[in-house]
Amino acid sequence: MPSNEAKDEITRVLQAIKQHEEVSEQMMVQVYQELRQLAAVRMAREAAGQTLQATALVHEAWLRLFNGNPVGWQNRAHFYAAAAQAMRRILIERARRKMSLKRGERAEHVSIEQVDISQTLPDERVLLINEALEQLQRKDSELARVVVLKFFGGLTNAEVAEILGVTERTVHNKWVFAKAWLLENICEAAGPGS
Amino acid sequence: MDTETTREQELFDAALPMADAGERDAFLDRACDGDPGLRARVAKLLAAHNHSDRFFQSCLSDFAAAAQEIPATSDSDAHQKYSMEMVGARVGRYKLLKQLGEGGCGMVYLAEQEEPVRRRVALKVIKLGMDTQNVIARFDAERQALALMDHPNIARVLDAGATETGRPYFVMELVDGIKITKYCDDNRLTTIQRLNLFVQVCQAIQHAHQKGVLHRDIKPSNILVTLHDGVPVPKVIDFGIAKAIEGRLTDDTACTFDGQLIGTPAYMSPEQAEMRNLDVDTRSDIYSLGVLLYELLTSRTPFDQKKLVSAGLEEMRRTLREDEPQRPSVLLTSLTNMDLTIVAAQRRVESSKLNKSLKGELDWIVMKALEKDRRRRYETANALAMDIRRFLNSEPVLACPPSRVYRLQKLVWRNKVVFASGAMVLITLMVGLGFSTLFYFKEREGRLEQARLRQMAEEAQAGEGQLQREVEAREQVTQAGVLLSHGAIEQADALVDSIPASLLSPSGEAATVFRSLGDWNMLQGRWQKAAGRYAVVVQVNQVDRAELSAVATADLLVAQPLFIEAGNIAAYERTRKMALARLVGTPFPAAAEQLTKTSLLLPADESVLKLMPPLEQVIVKSVTDYDPKKNDNSWILATWRTFALALLEYRRGDFTASMTWLEKCSAYPDQTPSCVASVHILRSMNQFQLDDVSHAKAQLQTGQEAVERHFRDKLDLGDNKTGRLGGWIMARIFLGEAQDISKAYPAVEDDAIQ
Repeated sequence: MPSNEAKDEITRVLQAIKQHEEVSEQMMVQVYQELRQLAAVRMAREAAGQTLQATALVHEAWLRLFNGNPVGWQNRAHFYAAAAQAMRRILIERARRKMSLKRGERAEHVSIEQVDISQTLPDERVLLINEALEQLQRKDSELARVVVLKFFGGLTNAEVAEILGVTERTVHNKWVFAKAWLLENICEAAGPGS
Repeated sequence: MDTETTREQELFDAALPMADAGERDAFLDRACDGDPGLRARVAKLLAAHNHSDRFFQSCLSDFAAAAQEIPATSDSDAHQKYSMEMVGARVGRYKLLKQLGEGGCGMVYLAEQEEPVRRRVALKVIKLGMDTQNVIARFDAERQALALMDHPNIARVLDAGATETGRPYFVMELVDGIKITKYCDDNRLTTIQRLNLFVQVCQAIQHAHQKGVLHRDIKPSNILVTLHDGVPVPKVIDFGIAKAIEGRLTDDTACTFDGQLIGTPAYMSPEQAEMRNLDVDTRSDIYSLGVLLYELLTSRTPFDQKKLVSAGLEEMRRTLREDEPQRPSVLLTSLTNMDLTIVAAQRRVESSKLNKSLKGELDWIVMKALEKDRRRRYETANALAMDIRRFLNSEPVLACPPSRVYRLQKLVWRNKVVFASGAMVLITLMVGLGFSTLFYFKEREGRLEQARLRQMAEEAQAGEGQLQREVEAREQVTQAGVLLSHGAIEQADALVDSIPASLLSPSGEAATVFRSLGDWNMLQGRWQKAAGRYAVVVQVNQVDRAELSAVATADLLVAQPLFIEAGNIAAYERTRKMALARLVGTPFPAAAEQLTKTSLLLPADESVLKLMPPLEQVIVKSVTDYDPKKNDNSWILATWRTFALALLEYRRGDFTASMTWLEKCSAYPDQTPSCVASVHILRSMNQFQLDDVSHAKAQLQTGQEAVERHFRDKLDLGDNKTGRLGGWIMARIFLGEAQDISKAYPAVEDDAIQ
């Protein structure tokens, strides 16, 4: 179980959210800590070789943080939005760390211009998507939000629709479009032939 | 909000459902009038859409691997508290007494039920949150099928529900046992004893399959061994749970992006690992049984679990789909002396003997269960068990080592996969295949989609009932196979009469059974019945991989003439269309020749003729490469191949070209009589067309005599020397066509022309 202080902290943050959107960042840091801890715990417990899922971790974190606590949907939505961002940060950090280790072997800097999509490593892919996502964020922030929630948060269309206050159909369309947009931008950046 | 992306998305959304490229283009032209930049961007986005699902799905798969490596930041005993937190709590009408163990997806508790009966049960709490309602709904959907299962080797699943905190749980019959592999090793069971336990596991799985339930997660930790009066009894647990949890994958929206994978990779069948593939059937369980058997024999799994997981999901899928595992006996030789001694000691043999005991039949049995192509696996768990029984009784087993041809074809297929994934170099290597391969892949894609839709519809309508009927049909096929092997042909033939062909899916065993019965009927001169049997052969032979085209076309050689002989022209044309659509990309000359010949048995219109060039090129190349000085059997092939080319030219109306090929054909030594007869007849048809009537009549006469002589004698299936029966029927069909032409030329004209 998370420590009581952590729980109190989160409750405090959640209450603050009601008055002020920006606190989400703080919330994210909390969730981020929780997710890391949770991942560590599960790794220690898991029989070797069991696959573990990032999205399952997010759900697990939710259950652990709010076990039995009555929380309004508003808070739950914020939690998932924050968790998705946290998961994104964790995955990106990890990919960067691994890529910087690999750079030594490859003896060259891997930049988006040199990457053939079909040949990319998992870590490169995460970074490429993240870069393209930042571009999308500048173009259309709502599309970017859908991507973060669905891709990094692993939420269903229904869940995203509830968080964003739109219909499931809209979420579906946005997600389909955003995927094409991101891939097209990654390919564009990587140059012809990929 | 940026208006640029908004506008792009509007057009994108509108154009996406338009299936026709022309319609899409016209729409974009109209909508983006005067803004070529916008039009180009939308077109690119639409193009990207075709690949985006796959790309994002592979990324999500990577996450699973990534999540494993998220660094720890805190105390190590946190999980201790965490796992104990539930003990003493009440879940539904159950009281948790103590923790029994934990698996990949849940924690198992010993629990006590107080009403309606007081008993102890096992209660498994699933870790995934969120999806609880759906998990329970899916479980409810299968509850009835689960209730039908009643087998001493199956632990009953009693109940399912949600904990207060929203986790799904399952309640099962309490099995006080240990996992099968551990039991075998701890008690140093011999290979024979292990096989006897394994046969019982197969029987349990067979029972479930007959009730329409798949397990989907067969692995040692789901098979517990308990002692009944000192006798070990294996019990399969967790039936129905994998499906309830896994359902998340098949939600239509979730499926495209949610690369979650539930299960144990080392035990997962290739088609299960594929994940996009919703079409998992009983043969997936057979594969997992194969892995279990492998592990019981060698204490290793065919693919190392740790390696599979650490390579990432994409690589794992590739391994399961493409890599051939080592045979059990071969694997043993790769162990260190130390390891081998341990493995042998656990089986009470000397290490030198262990290897020998696996080599041969046990190797084959395991490998047949582990076939990548499920049609080549055992059809049923029962068939696998029966083969092991045969081994135990020192009878010959059904499994046998793969032929060299098959292995070679597999190799070619692998190259094709590389080709499909974008190695453009191969296009130039496989000259002439460009069009046909594209066509083939497109057709295949469409068919897979259709199959998926059909299956979804079926599932919605019939639920597990369909599956159950399919299993029954397969079981009957196996029975017919057994009858055949005992020489009870008539009984076998009567038995298959009751099998609705529509229930049979592609399967090597079914093809063998129906082929034998088709041949048998043919020898009795029962053309209608023989055609019916071969219609099933064609159906269960349906292959969507060019690697297997040779198998499929060889059957066409009999099936197609039979359809015509039986007067079922519709069946002939349907089969011709299907075979051409699927197999026109074949790289094998033999398959190309057989496909060409059978497709041109009757006059063909433009829609057929235009598909021929790729086949023609393959055949021409093989004939050109033929070296008459080489002392092998290729003359048989060369004669039939030149005949196929002559037939093609005839159908195209180029009679002179046809005659040229026929001359080449006649020049080869030692021809098959059926081929000689066909050449005479085709030559006469050409000569009629070229107004060389007297020669035509003479050729026809010779051909006719040969054919009639053959059918006057007692029918036999024939061989390459005397001509196979299919080839003779073909000759008779050509004869009919030539005689019709001949009627237009009254006999009196004979000397006038000369």
